[in-house]
Order: sequence, then structure tokens, then C-alpha cells
Amino acid sequence: MMRRLGAGAFLMLVVLAAGYLGLRAAHGINFHTDLLALLPQDRGDPAVQRAHDVVTRALGRRVMVLVGHPDRERARSAAVRLTADLLKSHTVAGTDTAPTGDRMRRIGALYFPYRAGLLADGDRRLLLAGQGKALATRALSQVFGFPGMADARLLHRDPFLLMPTFFSGLPIPSSRLAPDDGMLAVRDEHVTWVLVSLRLSGEPFELDVQKRFIGDFDHAVATLGPDVRVLKLGAVFFAAAGARQAMGETSSLGTASTVGSVLLVLLVFRRLGPLWQSLMSIAVGMVSGLSFSLWWFGDLHVVSLLFGMSLIGIAVDYSLYYFTDRFVCDAAPPAERLRRVMPGLGLGVLTTLVGYGALLLAPFPGLHQIAVFSAVGLTAAFASVVLWVPLIDRGHDLPHGAPLVSVAATLWRFWERSDLRRLRLALGLALLAAGAAGALRLTADDDVRRLQSPDAELLAEQHRIETLTGTGWSGQFFLVRASDDEAALKMEETLADRLAGPVKSGALSGFQSPAGFVPSAARQRENRRLVRDALQTPLLAEHVETLGLSEPPETAPIGDDAPVLTLAEATRDGAVPFLADLVLERSVGSVAHVVKLDGIRDVGAVRVAAEGLDGVRFIDPAADFSRLFGAYRYRAELLLGLSAVLMVPLLAVRYRWLGALAVMAPPVAALLLTPALLALMGEPFTFFSTMALVLVLSIGVDYAIFCAEATGPRKSVTLMAVCLASTTTLLSFGLLAFSQVFAVHTFGLTMLIGISLSVLLAPLGGLACRGR
Amino acid sequence: MMFRVIAVLLALGLSLPATAGVAADGAAGPSRSLSQGRTLHGKFVQERRLQGFKAPLRSEGRFMLAPGRGLIWQSEKPFPVTTVITAAGLVQEVGGAETMRMPAARLPFLAKLYDMLGGALTGDWRALEREFTVVRQGDDRAWRVELQPRTVADPAAMPIRIIRVSGGRFVDRVEIVKDGGDADALEFVEQTLSDAPPSEAEAALLASIGK
Repeated sequence: MMRRLGAGAFLMLVVLAAGYLGLRAAHGINFHTDLLALLPQDRGDPAVQRAHDVVTRALGRRVMVLVGHPDRERARSAAVRLTADLLKSHTVAGTDTAPTGDRMRRIGALYFPYRAGLLADGDRRLLLAGQGKALATRALSQVFGFPGMADARLLHRDPFLLMPTFFSGLPIPSSRLAPDDGMLAVRDEHVTWVLVSLRLSGEPFELDVQKRFIGDFDHAVATLGPDVRVLKLGAVFFAAAGARQAMGETSSLGTASTVGSVLLVLLVFRRLGPLWQSLMSIAVGMVSGLSFSLWWFGDLHVVSLLFGMSLIGIAVDYSLYYFTDRFVCDAAPPAERLRRVMPGLGLGVLTTLVGYGALLLAPFPGLHQIAVFSAVGLTAAFASVVLWVPLIDRGHDLPHGAPLVSVAATLWRFWERSDLRRLRLALGLALLAAGAAGALRLTADDDVRRLQSPDAELLAEQHRIETLTGTGWSGQFFLVRASDDEAALKMEETLADRLAGPVKSGALSGFQSPAGFVPSAARQRENRRLVRDALQTPLLAEHVETLGLSEPPETAPIGDDAPVLTLAEATRDGAVPFLADLVLERSVGSVAHVVKLDGIRDVGAVRVAAEGLDGVRFIDPAADFSRLFGAYRYRAELLLGLSAVLMVPLLAVRYRWLGALAVMAPPVAALLLTPALLALMGEPFTFFSTMALVLVLSIGVDYAIFCAEATGPRKSVTLMAVCLASTTTLLSFGLLAFSQVFAVHTFGLTMLIGISLSVLLAPLGGLACRGR
Repeated sequence: MMFRVIAVLLALGLSLPATAGVAADGAAGPSRSLSQGRTLHGKFVQERRLQGFKAPLRSEGRFMLAPGRGLIWQSEKPFPVTTVITAAGLVQEVGGAETMRMPAARLPFLAKLYDMLGGALTGDWRALEREFTVVRQGDDRAWRVELQPRTVADPAAMPIRIIRVSGGRFVDRVEIVKDGGDADALEFVEQTLSDAPPSEAEAALLASIGK
């Protein structure tokens, strides 16, 4: 009666959970896909954190396209078409390459009134060196020489032709692209490539954004005509390719593992009951875990969802453990069977909860979600096995299992028979030797770029774009913080002087700073004095005479109190392309600018440029992410060790201290040997390997407990349950070793090795525990 | 700035086949192809009439055009400026000191220019006629060609109102009138065509762009 009451109460809970889940699903559950959401809340300096997030987001939303055709006009019109088509798409927020001459006019209108204080770097250096004459000669050569740059109006207002040089020195984000009638273009061999630079309106990691943008993009490209070539670069393409690959693998590996597991269970039991009742318990676990976590956290990260679901998956072991008891063939009723397996099941769940619960101790939101999701799900799955299955189960003895049981018993014999002592010793020594050799070669790899394993074709396109444009999309930058724009711009000017060396030596291919677009007020005033003293005063009269200007030139106001161009004015209506990305924050008392770095070949030489500049920091998002993964991995490793320790007192309640240690020995051995064996295979150890080890520990302890619980006729049957459970686990996780996605591959391979070792060693724990 | 380059190169491009005699389609003006390996030498006088200037800006000097290799344009008065243009780009120097260098990668316009020039040299006017309406008059001893840009949509790209080219055996005169009222006039004299390749000094100048 109590049993039925409990089952009913649990049913109501599950219905409640399913109802809540249905309610949430009706509103559309949005899983976080943004890696930034996994970052620990406390990462030190909040301004740095914000800058980091803003720049990473901005970079992630950028899409760079090169449209190429042998005919310049066709390339240009294709670029205009593509831009117009994509701007119509709701996935594109804007473009930085206005494909008309209009933008050049706007830039001209913005800068021209302040021309007296605007000097290209090279011109400034010449004037500082007192070589104003060289600038006058250059202007004359442009007037009298062949490619007459000067029109009359320009010469009249800028007789030394300083503005064209300033404009061509503006830090557009590429060392090879050149302004060409309002577009940025590069000519390579026989093809003109025109740049189309776009900003997405949504996050590139959102599947919905990917689908809509890439649909619109492919459609727009398809209408450009067959001989127009298109090269593309952007996080959204990589993310979409990754998602596509993951989907493809999910369907192939997922089908193989599902079909394999279902067939296995059907073949072993030759009944439908165990299959659907196992599936039911997993479903109950998933629904309860998901529902509870959504209620508890508000939303979930997709990474937590995936790991959580795999962790709950081990609930199938519990139902299999229960069902294999039928092979004992003593016609016991379901309640009796449950009573027999209950100690093993209960301990198994408790130790696993300890294992997952330890993840809660880390300050990482991702690990918290995984821990809560899987702990709740596993508990629910366990409850469904204990409360429901014996009520539903009409199962009888399964005498057909005898041959299978005797096969499973081979493993017992291997560990028990005295004449196999030498063999056991040899195995032990071999494992020890492999472990020692592997431990020496153990390396951790937290490089986030490797974990992504990007699409090869897209990588080739990226490489081509980088070669053509001279841009390196490293994502690294300097963060410049100051109390106001002027202070920040001055700092950037100092930084620019220091970066000149690395640029010259090739350590850095280029950089873009706000000061490159708008010099500081101090620099503008200094430039004016320089122009007045080194150019106008000594040379203007003679220059005007040589040119033969009939009226005095209309030079811009040159006094110290004349107005200067400010960053606020330059950014006001977005006339200057690429500048907006560089200004993160402009509020009273605090500004944050970004100096973007292109094509870094020597990080050390670049870093050193910021030394001693208070307020300038070098930031490398990829390295930060890698560090984050490293931190996650390290924390998870510590917690893994801690949870192994915490399991011991739990086991000691039933097996006493020494017995508990004996039961823990096989899983701990698997835990230690697996990384070593991975290292021997030349596989690096990653965060994902650690997550797999969390599973290996939980599952391995379960196996060892089951073996420790096994006595008499149940010994062989228990081992059969372990073999069955491990085979389904290997089918679902071990198969992942064949994934092309590096992270998934390491996860799968770790599972494959760890679980195999756990099964192999599990009887040893049982024997040692009872042998005391 | 590039429109002037185009205009002059076009004119010079036209001048080469003009030497070959009668146009194939009976119309006046150059049309036959010229084999590579020949070079054209000559002198030029350039007058730029700019608004707001007392007098035209006048310069004179020598030029050398070698099909497939490039153009050397050397102003001598009022002071020496050497400009070299090849498929690799453009370099300008004054008294041995470089004042401007533009690799072809930064001059997508140059590609169009080469298309048009190459077309004109081989008697294929299509590339040229895509950009300009071409009106040809006269006979092969005294011909006139007028080029008018087709695209008025983007004056920033090519602020040329009309280009007038006239000549006989060679191009004698080119006039470029711009939208703002500025105008350039070029006179070519003492032109000679030879089968000899460019001299060593000339070849060195042409090669200087690739540096």
C-alpha cells in the first residue's frame, strides 16, 4: 500500500514537472549558446570583463566578404547588389562599406574644416625633421607630373596636398585593401576583389540566426551570376558549419548507438518490457531534470544541457541491473527482486550524486547547471525504477540467459582462479608500466581554437582572405581606459609610436586606434604649429608663386584657440567606417577605447609596447577562453578527486573503511590510468576528458558496488548486468570517439578507455571487499 | 586622380595603331594591332588650365611607351618629375627621391585601364565603348576621336566631360575637359617608333616598380 502511495505521489511530481516543461516549451525555450555565459561571474576587473565581452561579441557578429571578378565594374556592382540584398535581410544590422562615393564625401566634409591639424604620420615626421621642402616638392610633382592629383579647388584650399595623404593613411583595417571610388578593394593577378563588411543583428551562435542569415546569404550569392567569386569570413559561418557537422554526426553516431543499444537489450532479454521500462526511466529523468533546472536557473546553457543529458543517461544502468536479476531464475516476485538489488542501487545513486554534486563547489555557472540538472534527473530516474518498475513489471524468469551469464562469469574466473595468478600479475604490471610511461607524457591542451576543429573549407577561405587583404583576424586588442577621450587619445598616440617598431619588423601587420582617425586635441594643435612653423611660414609664399595661384590660398584656421576635431563629432553620425567598433564607452569620467591588432606574429613584441602605460592592457580573447577552459578543467579535476574522497565514508557505512577503499580501488585506478593511456596514444587531455572522467568515476563506482553486492548465484548475473550496462554506455559514449569534432572525440575516447578499464577491474573490488 | 592617367594612356594607346595606316572598318582613327616589342618615343607639352590660377600650369618633357611593358613619363620643365606606370603599379620620383608609390593591388582602377588600353591596341573597342561613347571623324591622315563617359551617375569616379584626341600618323593632341571647368591639353611632338626594346636605363626604370 505504501509502495502504491509513493508511486502515485511520484507520478504527480513527474506530471507536474512535465506540465511546467510543456508550459516553458510553449513559450519557446531559448538555450544559451554563447560561450561567454559560461564564464565565472567574478573575473576581476569588471571594466576589462565588459570590454572583453563587447569586443568578442562585436567580432563574433562581423562578417567579411570579398566579391571578386576580373572586370572591376562587375565586381563593384556585384558588391553593391550583395550589400543591398543582405541589408534587406533582418539578420544584418548594418554595413561598414557604403558602396557609394557618398561616404567619401561625408568623410571629406567631416575632416576638411580641421585640416590644418591633421597630418599623416610620415608627413608629421618630415616636418619634425624640418623637411617641409620635401612636402612642397611632392605637391608640385603631383601638379606638374603625370598623374595630376590636384584639382584647382583642392589646391586652393590645401596647397601642399596634405589631406590626400592623411586620408590614405587612415587606419582602415587592412594593409592591402585600398579605397577605390568609395569602396575598399584589392587587385590580385587578374581579379578585382571588393570588400563587403557586415554586422549581424543577432548572435552568430544562435541556430536561428545562423539559419536565416546563411539562407539569405546563399540566396544573395546565387543571384550574383556564375563568374562572380565570393570569399567569406565570419564566426557565423564557422558556427553554422560546426552545427551542421554536429547534426550530421548526431544522426549517424546517434542512430548507431540507439539502434545498437535497443538491439542489445532486446537480444539479451528477448522481451519488450525491459526496453521500454528502461527508456521510461531515462525519459522521467530528463523531463524532471530539465524542468527543475529551468525553474531553478531560469534558463540553461546548451553545453549544460548536453552534458547533463549524458550524465542522466547512466540511469539506464540501474534498470538494467534490476532486470538482469531475472536471470537468477528463482521465480522471485518483483518486490523481492527489488529488495535484492536495492542496496547496490541505492549506494550507486548516492555515490553518483556525490560525484555530480561536487561540481557545485566550483564557481563556474556551467558546472552548477550540469550538477543540478543531472542530480535531479538521476534521482528522478532512480525513483521511477524503484517506485514504478516493480509495479509494472510482470516479468518472469529468463532461463534463456544461461549461456550469456556463463560468458559474463569468465571475468570472475579471471580474477578468482589461482592458476591465472601469473596472467593477472602480468596484466597488473602491464597496466602499471603503461600508466607510468603515459604519466610522463601527460599534457593538457586547453586551446579553445583546437577544441572548435573548424571546417577545413572555411579555413581555406579565411586564409585566402587574409592573404588578399593583409588582415589577420586574431581578435587581440589593447584596451585603453582613461578619464576622458583626450587622455585616451594621447595614450594611443604614445602607443602608436611604440608600435611603429613591431610594424616595421613584421611582428605586427597593422593596428587601428581611435587616435588614428581623430588625433588628440593636443596633437592637432601641435600639428598646426608644425605646419605653420615648418611649412607655411618658410615656404607658402614661394609655393603659391610656383603654382601660380591667382588668389591667396584658403588655409584653415591655425591658431591655438581654433576648434579641433573631437571624437564625439567623428562618431556622431557614423560617417567614419570602422571607428564605432573602437569606442566602447564614452561617459563622463570614464572612457574605454580599443586598439585592434592585425596579424600578430610576435605577441611578446606587441605586449611590450604597452609596458608602463597606465590604463593600457593587452587582451587576447582566444587565450582568455583557453585559460578559462584550463581553469574549468583544473577545477573539475580537483572536484573529481574530492568527490572520490567523499564517496569513501558513504561506502564505509556498508563495507567498513577497508571495504570502502577496496570498492573504490577499481574506479580510482581507471581514473588514474585513463589519462596516462590517452597520453600514450598521443591524445591531449582536455576539459572534455575531465568531464568524461566524472562519468567514469560515477559509473565505475557503481560497477564495483554491484560486484561487491554479488554473492552466490547472483555473482555471474551481476557481472552480466555490468557487461550489459557498460556495453550500452560504450555504444552511446564510446562511439563519440569517432567524431570529427575534437572536443566530442576526446570525450568519447576518454569514456571508451575509462569504462573498459572500470569493467575489467570491477570484480577485483568486489573480491577484495568480501575477501577481508 | 586616375582619370588623367586613363585619358593620357588611352590617347597614347590609340597613337600606336594609328601608325599602321588605314583603319580596318574604314572609319578614321587607329584600329590595327601593334606587335609587342616596339617602342614609341616622343616629347610632350602639357598645359593645365585650372580655375583660380593666373596662368596655365605648363610642363614639358619626354615619354616612352612600350606595349606590354609600361610607360615612362618624364617632365623636365618646370622641374624634373619622373612617373613610371606598369602592370605592377605606379612610382613617381623627383630628383631620384621617391614621392609616390602605388602598387597595382592598391589601384584596382589600373586594371580597367589595361583592359581598355589592351583592347584599343588590338583593335577591340568594346572595353572602351563600355565606358565611353566614341565618335570618330576624318581619315587616317587627319582624324579626330571624341570620347564621352557613359556613366554620369558617379562623377566622383570620373569627373571628365569629354576627351578629344586628334592626330595623323600619331596622336598629336589630347584635350581633357573636366566637370569643374578645369582642362588639360597635351601636345605630342617628335614621335618616333622603333623596333628596339627600351634602353637599359628605361628598362631599369620600368623594373623599379617591382622593387
